[in-house]
Amino acid sequence: MKKIVRSNYFKITVLAVMLLGALSLGFILKEKETGKEYTQPGMVVSLPDDLVKRAAIPGLPAPDDAEKAVPVYGNWKNFTTKDGLPSDKCYCVRVSGDKTYVGTHDGLAVYEKGKWKTYTSKDGLSHNGVVSVDVSEITGDVWIGTLGGLTRWSAGKFEIFNQFNSGMPNDLVYMVICDGPDVWVTTGGGAGRYNTLKKEWEIFTEQNAPMHEPWTYGVSAGDGKVYIAAWGGGVIEYNPKTKQFRDHTDPDGFMEIDLQPDDGLVHDITTATSYADGILWVSTYFGMSRYDGKYWKGYFKEDSGLASNFINFLRAEGPCAFMCTDNGFSSTNGTNWVTYKKNENDANGVAIVTTGGVKKEIPQSPSISHNFIIGVDGQDDVMWVATSKGVSRGEKLKL
Amino acid sequence: MRKLIVSVGVIAVLLVLVFIPGKKWAREHVNYKTAVNDHSLNCLNCHLYNSKSPLISKMVNRDYLSPMNIAVSEDGKKLFVTAQDADKLFVIDAAERKILGKIDVGRKPHSVILDNTGSNAYVTNQWSDNVSVIDLAEMKVVDTLSTGNGPAGLSFSSDGKVLYVVNSYSSDLTVIDLASGIEITRLNTGNNPTGIQLSPNGKDLYVTARRAVITPYGEPVTTDLTLVDDQSRRLKSFLPVESAYLMENIAFTPSGDLALVTLIRPKNLLPTLQVEKGWMMNHGFGVIEQKGDGRIIQLLTDEPQAFYPDPFDIVITGDGKRAFISSSGVNMITVIDIDSVRNLIAESTPEMLSLWANHLGISSRYVVKRIPTGANPKGLALSPDGKYLYVAEHLNDMIGVISTETMERTGEIELGSSSRVTVLRRGRQLLNNAGRTFQTQYSCYTCHPDEHEDGLMYNMASKDMGRNITNTQSLREIGDTPPFKWSGKNQTVYKQDGMRFSTVLTRTEQFPYNDLDAISSYIMRGNHYPPNLQFNPDGVLTEAQERGKIIFERTRDNNGNEIPENNRCITCHPAPYYTNLKFADVNTLTASDDSILFDTPHLNNIFSSPPYLHDGRAKTLEEIWTLYGKTDKHGMVNDMTKGQLNDLVEYLKSLRSPDYESGNSKIQKASFNKE
Repeated sequence: MKKIVRSNYFKITVLAVMLLGALSLGFILKEKETGKEYTQPGMVVSLPDDLVKRAAIPGLPAPDDAEKAVPVYGNWKNFTTKDGLPSDKCYCVRVSGDKTYVGTHDGLAVYEKGKWKTYTSKDGLSHNGVVSVDVSEITGDVWIGTLGGLTRWSAGKFEIFNQFNSGMPNDLVYMVICDGPDVWVTTGGGAGRYNTLKKEWEIFTEQNAPMHEPWTYGVSAGDGKVYIAAWGGGVIEYNPKTKQFRDHTDPDGFMEIDLQPDDGLVHDITTATSYADGILWVSTYFGMSRYDGKYWKGYFKEDSGLASNFINFLRAEGPCAFMCTDNGFSSTNGTNWVTYKKNENDANGVAIVTTGGVKKEIPQSPSISHNFIIGVDGQDDVMWVATSKGVSRGEKLKL
Repeated sequence: MRKLIVSVGVIAVLLVLVFIPGKKWAREHVNYKTAVNDHSLNCLNCHLYNSKSPLISKMVNRDYLSPMNIAVSEDGKKLFVTAQDADKLFVIDAAERKILGKIDVGRKPHSVILDNTGSNAYVTNQWSDNVSVIDLAEMKVVDTLSTGNGPAGLSFSSDGKVLYVVNSYSSDLTVIDLASGIEITRLNTGNNPTGIQLSPNGKDLYVTARRAVITPYGEPVTTDLTLVDDQSRRLKSFLPVESAYLMENIAFTPSGDLALVTLIRPKNLLPTLQVEKGWMMNHGFGVIEQKGDGRIIQLLTDEPQAFYPDPFDIVITGDGKRAFISSSGVNMITVIDIDSVRNLIAESTPEMLSLWANHLGISSRYVVKRIPTGANPKGLALSPDGKYLYVAEHLNDMIGVISTETMERTGEIELGSSSRVTVLRRGRQLLNNAGRTFQTQYSCYTCHPDEHEDGLMYNMASKDMGRNITNTQSLREIGDTPPFKWSGKNQTVYKQDGMRFSTVLTRTEQFPYNDLDAISSYIMRGNHYPPNLQFNPDGVLTEAQERGKIIFERTRDNNGNEIPENNRCITCHPAPYYTNLKFADVNTLTASDDSILFDTPHLNNIFSSPPYLHDGRAKTLEEIWTLYGKTDKHGMVNDMTKGQLNDLVEYLKSLRSPDYESGNSKIQKASFNKE
């Protein structure tokens, strides 16, 4: 043993280990220092320490981006059945050009030039319960996901796809998106891809994809990949070119608390995914996750500006994500937040703006029409949110 | 001398001894082979013209050209003609009426247009899924642009930057950026589109469609015109044209106030007994008003006791006074006076217009002339000075030249094919001609366009009216799939097209035997499936198709139980025709059907034959099982997952012509070669 300890090889090895340890320590210390530097003076309300610390760890926007404020919307105009909507229960909203499509419990409402027009199954919709709408950028066709099948609305003509007349996986459509010539649906019986050029369906269930069960809620696409929010199965990442899957699940399993922060997806019961600016945003019924391709970051009501951990839907545009929760509407760029809440007893509410750890409240009159939010979409300086009591249209405020 | 007499006598006796039983044997043989007992004894027909031997086929047949569509150069000096069966574009000196050159293009060239500089021609290759770009100075193909399935009609955008290509098989419109040669988008269209025309104001494009929207039997036929916004390259609307289909081509008046589209009005919901009353098929054109709400008025080109079937192309003179329609089923050009059409519409109430749509007598108000042509006139083109109308005489291999002044066929341009009309060619001419139907009301082509099927269900006249509704079946490559009809009543094509055919359908004298032999030979050996470029271009199955093939051939269900042999897909639908030529009960009989077993249909190119089942009740392949296969009588399916059913359907869509299935895939592969 003494012989070994005295040997040059041993000394070199010990020296190398010490050197590596010192270097690693340097990295760790540097991270901590950065976290401190990030803390801004003059905070009105301090954020939890751990959030401040984590604000600069890998997985979050660079400090420069974090400085950027999240846009605030106001001057809300609320629309209900009194204004021409077929139902107050609004499930989704999609803006395309000068038209806004709102999916409701009793049909599809289209807002154009200040007027609403309703389309129902009598006009050709596969079902009146419209839960998702997307517009193909390359053809202009409107794809409508309903509780009873998928409808293509092309130049005024409705064409129905369902599980009986086509390769659709299931008629209970939760979401539809257009990705080039492909149309993706997530349904109660799996996800499906319809290639509009080949006129061919391909379906993905627990039998041919790493899903927990075939129930799929949300889907988004970006940078050549598709991200499926699979109920109980986290996020299924699919590369259509290589036909390879990669599943992202919560390392903590089914637990409703996030045991180890930022170790992965916050929960396996995912409700939506949205990919923008190289970031994947994932909503669950137990918080939200952000993934930059390398690091995960979890967000909860308790340690961020998120309105609620019960998130019905989210959509990302540019650097920001917009979350539809059961208790308000939130938007974030990963660091700064704006959350909109309506007062319980009147039509007014507040926008809670958190920038650089500084929180301030902006009164809004009126506010969004209800705090149970199910859908969101925006275009230019206008934001629409679909709620369980009508749909709201807000304008970007110049603060 | 005596020896000679004896010898002759012996030979005569021997001949009689051979001839009488020989003839008797031949009679029985022919009766057996034709399934009728009155067919003439013509050994050559079966043993020569119906032979599958490539050597014999080459000996007895000839290569024809079959000109399809024409473009004229801006100075009127040159004609450009697509020769569908020669896979060439012919360049013709219009004045000298001589061929200047032949340019190899893709398979089954359909349409041709010239760019506004006159330096390039674009040719759609319907069986190659591409467009040949031809440098006219060099007289050669310089580029090949990919399209959707079955490219047919073509148009440039108003700014000349974009080429629109109508994909007739995949029912969509390819939009190609000419600078890059890349397809920038593909737009949904009506069912089986063909023609396309840009409005004179350069704002809109109209795309015609041939097949109707699939609806249950009993609902009126409706076919969609597709309106495209040229500026945005997006769809604008679908214009449903009621009670009409087979809208082949469309033309605008120079002022742009009207668009005229050729069409056929089928009366498929009535028993075919109505042929005598002029109520089976009517032929005419639609007038789409460009002002107001864009009314579509339908008028017939038919007359009482004389029909002008299968209108194909339409062109309008530069002064907007005359429209010429190729009535291809009767070898005629129908000349329309457009001002008379305008006057008729102006003076008619909506009720009257509705009546005119079915009125055989009203055509005398606006049809000013019928001009005879060579066999099967298809594409038309006017010379720039308006003096000549050029007619692609499809089955005459000539370009007919008509003086628009005298409205007579004043000459022709020979394209240089064989002058001999072979039996198959004769058969094709007969199939495309209405001459053997009562008052020339329709041809075989009318319900079987391109030897395929029209997608409609018919109430064929029988002893029980309203019973036995049948979905039209394709005629492509059916020679080896007897018996025929859904009921399998006709054991042979001879029986199908003989006396019974004339009794039930044509309602006139049956085909003379020579004609019957010719049309039977053509149906059995002369027409071919297009390559299945959409779902199986090279014979290599996709992963889903491979999985579907395993399901198609499986012997055990998902639970491991053996599937009874008669309930396996492969048992009744074996390759290469995917029929065992036997009868089967698949539990699809309805109360309105006679109690019969169904002839097992062949499945080659089945993707192109919706709707499905004998009465067309299944709009898609999926519906055969999701809606009408609940009892597991049409194959064991109810143990399958949705994914497995999808795979099975993908495999079915991959099935191709027997030629390809039997390994003779040269033709299919050749279609992929870029010229």
